[in-house]
Amino acid sequence: MNAPDPNPDDAPLLGTHSRRAFLKGFGAITISAAASQTQAVAAELEKLNAEKIVGPGPVPVTLRVNGETLSLSLEPRVTLLDALRNVSTYTGTKEGCDRATCGACTVLLDGAPIYSCQMLAIEAQGHAITTVEGLAQDGKLTPVQKAFAERDATMCGYCTPGFVMAATALLKENPHPTPADVRRACSGNLCRCGTQPRVVEAVLQAAGGAADNGTPGDLHA
Amino acid sequence: MKPFSYATALSPESARQLASSSKHGAYLAGGNDLLGLLKEGLVEADLLVNVKALPGLGKIEQSGAGWSIGALATVAQVEKHPGLKAAFPGLAAAAAEVASPQIRNVATVGGNLAQHSRCWYFRHRDTLCLKKGGDHCFARNGENRYHTLFTGNPCVSPMVSSLAVAFAALDAVAVVVREGKELRWSMADFYHRAWENPLTHHSLEPGDLVVRVEVPLLRTRSAYLQASEKHAFDWALVSCAAATGIDGGKMKGPRIALGSISPMPHQAEAANTFLEGKPLALDDATATQAADLLLKEAQPLEHNGYKVPIALALVRRALLQLQS
Amino acid sequence: MPDPVPAPGALAWPAETRVVGHSTHRIDAEAKVTGRARYASDIQADGWLYGMILRSKWPAARVAAIDLAPALQVPGIVAAVPARDGERTIRFYGEELAAVAGKSKQACLDALRAIRVTATPLPFVVREDDAKADGAAPVWDTAANFIPGTPKEQGSVDAAFGECAAVVEGFYTTPVQIHHPLETHGNTVSWTDDGVTAWASTQGIGSVRDGLAGALQLDQSRVRVVTEYMGGGFGAKFGPGVAGILAAKLSRQAGAPVRLMLTRFDQALAVGNRPSSFQKIRLGALADGTLHAFDFENYGTAGIGAGKASEGGGGGANLPMPYIYKVPNVRTKQAAVAVNAGPASAFRAPANPPASFGMEGAMDDLATKLGVDPVAFRIQNDPNPIRQREYKVGAEKFGWAQKYRRPDPAALALATAGPIRRGVGCAGANWGGGGNKNTGAEVEIHSDGSVEVRLGVQDIGTGTRTVIAVVAAEVFGLAPEQITVRVGDTRFPPGPGSGGSTTCPSVSPAVLDACTNALRQLQTQAGLSDIRDAKGANWAAACRKLGAGTVAARGMWQPGLSSSGAGGVQFAQVAVDTEIGLVTVEKIVAVHDCGRIVNRVTTESQINGGIVMGLGYALYEERVMDPASGVVLNPNFETYKLSGMADVPDIDIVLLDMPERGVIGIGEPATIPTAAAIANAVANALGVRVFSLPITPAKVLAALGKVPSPTPA
Ligand SMILES: Cc1cc2nc3c(=O)[nH]c(=O)nc-3n(C[C@H](O)[C@H](O)[C@H](O)COP(=O)(O)OP(=O)(O)OC[C@H]3O[C@@H](n4cnc5c(N)ncnc54)[C@H](O)[C@@H]3O)c2cc1C
Ligand code: FES
Ligand code: FES
Repeated sequence: MNAPDPNPDDAPLLGTHSRRAFLKGFGAITISAAASQTQAVAAELEKLNAEKIVGPGPVPVTLRVNGETLSLSLEPRVTLLDALRNVSTYTGTKEGCDRATCGACTVLLDGAPIYSCQMLAIEAQGHAITTVEGLAQDGKLTPVQKAFAERDATMCGYCTPGFVMAATALLKENPHPTPADVRRACSGNLCRCGTQPRVVEAVLQAAGGAADNGTPGDLHA
Repeated sequence: MKPFSYATALSPESARQLASSSKHGAYLAGGNDLLGLLKEGLVEADLLVNVKALPGLGKIEQSGAGWSIGALATVAQVEKHPGLKAAFPGLAAAAAEVASPQIRNVATVGGNLAQHSRCWYFRHRDTLCLKKGGDHCFARNGENRYHTLFTGNPCVSPMVSSLAVAFAALDAVAVVVREGKELRWSMADFYHRAWENPLTHHSLEPGDLVVRVEVPLLRTRSAYLQASEKHAFDWALVSCAAATGIDGGKMKGPRIALGSISPMPHQAEAANTFLEGKPLALDDATATQAADLLLKEAQPLEHNGYKVPIALALVRRALLQLQS
Repeated sequence: MPDPVPAPGALAWPAETRVVGHSTHRIDAEAKVTGRARYASDIQADGWLYGMILRSKWPAARVAAIDLAPALQVPGIVAAVPARDGERTIRFYGEELAAVAGKSKQACLDALRAIRVTATPLPFVVREDDAKADGAAPVWDTAANFIPGTPKEQGSVDAAFGECAAVVEGFYTTPVQIHHPLETHGNTVSWTDDGVTAWASTQGIGSVRDGLAGALQLDQSRVRVVTEYMGGGFGAKFGPGVAGILAAKLSRQAGAPVRLMLTRFDQALAVGNRPSSFQKIRLGALADGTLHAFDFENYGTAGIGAGKASEGGGGGANLPMPYIYKVPNVRTKQAAVAVNAGPASAFRAPANPPASFGMEGAMDDLATKLGVDPVAFRIQNDPNPIRQREYKVGAEKFGWAQKYRRPDPAALALATAGPIRRGVGCAGANWGGGGNKNTGAEVEIHSDGSVEVRLGVQDIGTGTRTVIAVVAAEVFGLAPEQITVRVGDTRFPPGPGSGGSTTCPSVSPAVLDACTNALRQLQTQAGLSDIRDAKGANWAAACRKLGAGTVAARGMWQPGLSSSGAGGVQFAQVAVDTEIGLVTVEKIVAVHDCGRIVNRVTTESQINGGIVMGLGYALYEERVMDPASGVVLNPNFETYKLSGMADVPDIDIVLLDMPERGVIGIGEPATIPTAAAIANAVANALGVRVFSLPITPAKVLAALGKVPSPTPA
């Protein structure tokens, strides 16, 4: 399995630089074959590193993102968000504040939504990290993604990956949420464009509920 | 963020040793507070010791006369633990109001108690206020809408941990390991140093490790309420917890604590004494009297007088909620 | 049967539309929900470097020297440039001093700390009232902080007030509001010998190109700006800004592309805001309810922008008063006041939301005093027939007649029904907008039947891509998904900047024209009279005849397809907890018109967006300056508060269809009346008015007289 390419080839070609993602000089990604092997490596690394002081310079950091293994070389102060967006190519995870206040950077850590901006990459080792790129399988949108698209719960879309992750986690824990549950579960995500009403509808729709907060079509004079 | 080294500790002792091996070692739990401080350059840390792998400190368990909540349990665990929620609804309610789901999933109980001031002068990268070693508190005569009604020192930044307020009303004890010895602190002990000393946020010394919080089972009724400017993911302007035991329909050992209005959870012995033995089915007038006892010495600043009526209302409402 | 293809020069919207006016899903939604959409801040051009800006920590200072050498010593740092050469004066906290580019964010952070700035702090002033006072620190050397405006009078105001049966007065204040799009300002810029390419988070790719070309002294033809996706702008993202120019200079020096996105902190300080207002309003009506006299005095700050205003510029602090109402006797006196804070910029419906807040508040208070229904009072005094209709439609939908009670402070004092009080309010909006005649579009039809429309506009989240697909699909008899839309590149025909609700009325006619030209050409080339049929068989056959060729056609904006002048009214219902002061907005009914609706679902989303932003303006948002240190105290989302998921009310939208008026934009009018309607609902609930935005618990409790005075120091 290959890491999802956030830079598909059908995007317009720009300027003289190749638009393909590249890896920064100090970090390198290798994709290992099997997940079990990955876990073993991570466990080994953790034992090796425990009680040892590493850094402040770059140290090897192994992350499991969407089932793939990233072997990076990072300073301990590099956040998980920075590692995903800037050192690697997982730019689906957005940066809105870098201070645990906006939710654009939401990823799942062992299934639970967290702010990747307020966690060190080195701490995230040994955990399963899911980003928005890891949701759709074989190009098939998840019910949450589908409902966000159908309900117009995305405008500029910069907040959308974060909302999608928060909503995905909610439905796993609570498959039949009330509108109030949705509001609470997504209260850690900001949207400046004003998709909030549509997000509620979308999540309820994804849950298979009636979602009748008024459909876009039936509100007209 | 400046560069720092990093280590994972596997025992409390190694955590302490690791942290003290460096000039500015700090424990890293959920990191919500610490990383925020480091990003703004507000604390010096040249080594972060990750304490999340310490064995056993993430547990929530009942033990005889009470519950023990490991310092590394997350706020989300406290919010959702069925047994804990049944025993202390006020504590679960306080946990549920902490920040956002994403934060609650990583924030730990120990880190929540040990968090630093949220005063916007303290948190600002370019103001050298009293709390950061400067020579005066900007808020005292400045923008003080979010600040204290009570304080024992010139700094007016309040204690804002939601959990501490609930723990205070439940008479919980924080167990702190200092140089191998266990200290048992009430919430008042935990914050009394911040009451006196503007440079501090709590009573912990470098190297002190919170290992658990013990909550006695004496008070079967508890409630927590907070007032904020927004409906979710917003700091409390004032928070309030109330708890009591019941003896023949009467209050036994009632406790009220208020947050965000003092450098420590604000409590008044007079209010607790006043309520002792009063019927659980409290009338509004008695609840109001208790509230008055808590707020009568309040010293509003230029822009935070509104916290007084809010605090009064919350105390009343929390007390009335104990009935149900 | 579709309408016949119009002859050249006689372009019109079809009488019956198949796609236009219905709801089409955003064609780029899938890219957005999967994370595939690439925003300016996601660009990872080959060899890219991270860029960051060093900002002034002084609100005012004389900078003698900036030593960048230590920054260049930091491992990983490749370039460092000053924001300006030579000595200079800093006039606000957060003004740009220098910028660095390096291989990682960490290297940049270390480099910013290493830069040495030699500066002498200067006196400063950050509050409007302080800046107006005698002896205040001068923000600009060349102009006073405050030059009182000259009164403008129409009719005879003083005499007219004598004729009024009822007069109300109030001092209304609104805070400085920050745009805070979720993606901050910024660009990735690559400057090579071939020229400059900028991937910009912008509302106007053309404005970035022209701004960069000017600043870098390059031909516009050698600057290319690309904006595939961007994360919101709301008026602040035009031109390259200081950040764009610095990124270009860094790229030149480094010989590599530089991605320089602002931090959230930066965003709060230096890239625009909505000016504050301090409005003294006096409004009077005759006994029959006709507005008769209006006296208005206002000042507000556009930060350092206001000082330049005194030298003859805009400043943006003047309000269009008496807003949407007809008053025969009007006196206004307005001025901007300069303070040491970041300059204002256009912000969604500039000047309108504060004007609406002041004027509509006075309208409600006057209605109460006259003992008339506020909706009827508005219909009587608002000359706009569309809005009059909207009030009627909205009142019906909202249940105004059942819900409205005359506010009664006595009832409040006696209330036994618990601490929650409910209230309702309404307000109206007006906006110009209109199409930009310089908008072009090009269309290519391929022999396999596929269609590509190219236009140098950007989709800032308003659904422009989808609008283009909808119009093209309408013309060709295809489905919107069959149209490939390419926007966000200055190599495409020129499009408008996305501001002032002008995008949709600019783009739709141009696409209609280009597609109509293409269709005509295809019919000629295929030798068919009309190739549009429901099944698409003719279409495929016609396109096949193109063989190795394509149909390539261009089009331009044409008159008669769009117009300007959108209105709207909103109704709000609130619940106020009178003990803790919290306002909960329970319901908003919004009735808007924007002429011919191109895509319904995205139009409604725009209205949702306007309301959610207006809600923030009403209840949460405020830039807080510290008078002692001159800093912005809340340069973050923790204490600069935006409406969250839990705060947003149930919203009902009614769109008036007026296809005969042509296409009109909707982005601005939707946000104008929200705060005013909410404030009126709060006043209705409480029986007293909160005259100051945002309406926080502190202000509600103060209005209710519940706040004890401060303890003497
Ligand atoms: C936007 C935002 C909103 C918030 N809203 C709320 C709110 O409404 N209510 C509320 O209560 N909190 C709120 N918080 C604070 C948040 O809950 C705390 O930051 C968090 O609980 C801290 O826990 P942590 O595990 O992440 O701590 P860390 O950041 O890891 O640690 C915090 C401090 O405690 C020390 N520490 C950690 N664990 C221990 C230990 N076991 N023993 C000794 N010292 C220790 C660390 O060295 C550090 O100094 C908010 C935070 C943010 C960013
Ligand atoms: S970027 Fe992490 S919460 Fe905003
Ligand atoms: S869609 Fe733009 S911020 Fe949410």
